[in-house]
Amino acid sequence: MEQHSAEFLANADEALAGRERAQLREAMGLFAPALHSAAANAYGDFDALREHLHAVRRHTLDHLDVYLDRYLEAATENGNSVHFAETPDEMNRTVEAICRQHGARRIIKGKSMVTEESALNDHLTGAGFAVRETDLGEYIIQEAGETPSHIVGPALHKTKDEIRELFLARHDLGERSLESAGEMVGEARQVLREEFLGGEVGIIGANALVAETGYSLLVTNEGNGDLCANLPPVLIVCTTLERLLPRMSDAADLLRLLARSATGQPVTCYTSFYSGPRRPGDADGPVETHIVLLDNRRTEILASDYSDMLQCIRCGACLNHCPIYVAAGGHAYGWVYPGPVGSVLTPLLTSLEESHLLPNACTACGRCAEVCPANIPLPDLLRDLRQEEREQALSPVGWRRGLAFHARLLRHPWLYHRLTGLAARMLALAARGRGVLSRVPFAAGFLSERDLPAPTGASFMARYRGPHGDER
Amino acid sequence: MSDEARDRILARVRAASRRAAESEVDAALAALGRGPAPRPLHGDPRVTLLARLLRNQAAVDAVTDRTAAVRAIGEFLGARHGSRKLVAGQDPRLAALPWRDAGLLPRFGEVEPGDLAAVSYARLAIGETGSVVLTSGRDNPGRNNLLPEDHIVLVNGEDVVAGLDDLWPALQARLGAEQRPRSLQLISGPSSTADIALEMVFGAHGPRALQVVLVARDAPDCLAAARSLPG
Repeated sequence: MEQHSAEFLANADEALAGRERAQLREAMGLFAPALHSAAANAYGDFDALREHLHAVRRHTLDHLDVYLDRYLEAATENGNSVHFAETPDEMNRTVEAICRQHGARRIIKGKSMVTEESALNDHLTGAGFAVRETDLGEYIIQEAGETPSHIVGPALHKTKDEIRELFLARHDLGERSLESAGEMVGEARQVLREEFLGGEVGIIGANALVAETGYSLLVTNEGNGDLCANLPPVLIVCTTLERLLPRMSDAADLLRLLARSATGQPVTCYTSFYSGPRRPGDADGPVETHIVLLDNRRTEILASDYSDMLQCIRCGACLNHCPIYVAAGGHAYGWVYPGPVGSVLTPLLTSLEESHLLPNACTACGRCAEVCPANIPLPDLLRDLRQEEREQALSPVGWRRGLAFHARLLRHPWLYHRLTGLAARMLALAARGRGVLSRVPFAAGFLSERDLPAPTGASFMARYRGPHGDER
Repeated sequence: MSDEARDRILARVRAASRRAAESEVDAALAALGRGPAPRPLHGDPRVTLLARLLRNQAAVDAVTDRTAAVRAIGEFLGARHGSRKLVAGQDPRLAALPWRDAGLLPRFGEVEPGDLAAVSYARLAIGETGSVVLTSGRDNPGRNNLLPEDHIVLVNGEDVVAGLDDLWPALQARLGAEQRPRSLQLISGPSSTADIALEMVFGAHGPRALQVVLVARDAPDCLAAARSLPG
């Protein structure tokens, strides 16, 4: 996918100006955390489950050589062809080659963030194939020519009216009211039914790969991914190495965390395990199945200090709980993965140079780490990336000098107290008894929408030490 | 191209892994124990199953025998479509049902576009999540779960397991340890979406309605208990 992470600040400004969409995000920012905490509380010991799966997945990553070998053996035994792709482009070409081999033209797709990473749709469309996204959210943004704004609900940035207008313009179905969400869903169902029945190749992602059995796991509420996996004669699963889990029982634990963290449900409506092509005597199912494993720098992340990021299960909880994501929206981040997960993944999967603003899009509130089902220390990883940003001199020189000055100050408490005491007295003077300040040098941005309470004249330390301290 | 990519990726994975012996890896995994299961809604997994299905907008019936089962299906179909037709897979348990007692006319085979209803016999069900479990095969084509307007699933009381982690062992016990059906589907309600402005709508791409019929001697008691659970 084309990257616009360098324009984060301008993108965020634009998003903040759009009132209706901001209200949608605010509703989500209230609604989703409430559902999440209700589901976690009803579970019992949800935190122990998080810790358990974290330990299992750490173990899996530490021994990925063993589990990958086991998975490859089981998946091959199940009748799959397994392909490896180092780069997104290589994955796209692999998928294209499979489609060509079958003389297929119509491709139906379930939701897959990995194929967003590689911009598979653009590639296949450019090569002459007809690609149809079938997840309702993905379908909406495909018709609108947009990119996902959320990893679970890709079209949640669009208002109901916008979707209504889009459907009226894109579906040639004559006069109709199309007022309710129910009517719109019904219309998409009708339109996409034809696509499902005519699909020659199905493409889906995977929520997990099970080394023990070679099954891939797929969760959806709509059933669209399952139609893609069951109806066309050829199935391609596009996924990545870090989805691996050792056993079926680990997949059970993953499911327990995933649905509750994503939508607050105890389980999604459809939870499916697919092993391979149809078995002898089977009445239906694909006759040929392919699994494409994309690396795209994940093996580099595995060997780095950021390997915990490979534990991400793509639930979107960190987005729903992030004040920056809720304020600025997913498109501001300018690539596939927004929010805290995106602010770590984007620099790792693309380049820090292109996306160094993202790790700064953080208030350090820590909510993402509190709710992450995979127990990823997101604020720590963001801090480490900011550190790298500074070391590589990517941040503006003013920021770096300011930080260097601040660091020096903190290392010299005496100087710190002197200067802060001086600043407090000057601010008190500047307030001229009004109690608040609306303009302060170097803080124009901070004070554009708020006032600064004026200091009373003496710092806490000065008062603490009393009239005989070194401050007065 | 692909083989080289494979070799390079595998080499990087090996370099980043601990290169431990398989037995050591298995022992380390076993030492991690099991994760805690969720607090059950009820001590009887069949009650939990029905309660979860009700919360997820499924239609639920509880019957004591096969005649009552086909009658419940007949009532559901009559109310939904005013129809007596439905499609059933080649599951012998379905073939053995007294369909005529309810005046129903099943066609055995695969669902075709336009078919209003299909009926399946669940291999298992899971109380914890309120799911019926269907395996693909001649007895239950995968598309029968997905293409019809409405999906009807029968499940026997003795096939209801408590938790998600019971799924695989119970399935292996029924199918044989070496069997890996093409698909295992856990279905927990009619298809749904909240992709339009977070509004919950049932009837997305899969069936618009799901009817689950629990067959057990004390099934009506289970349903009464499920209905009386708070929430």
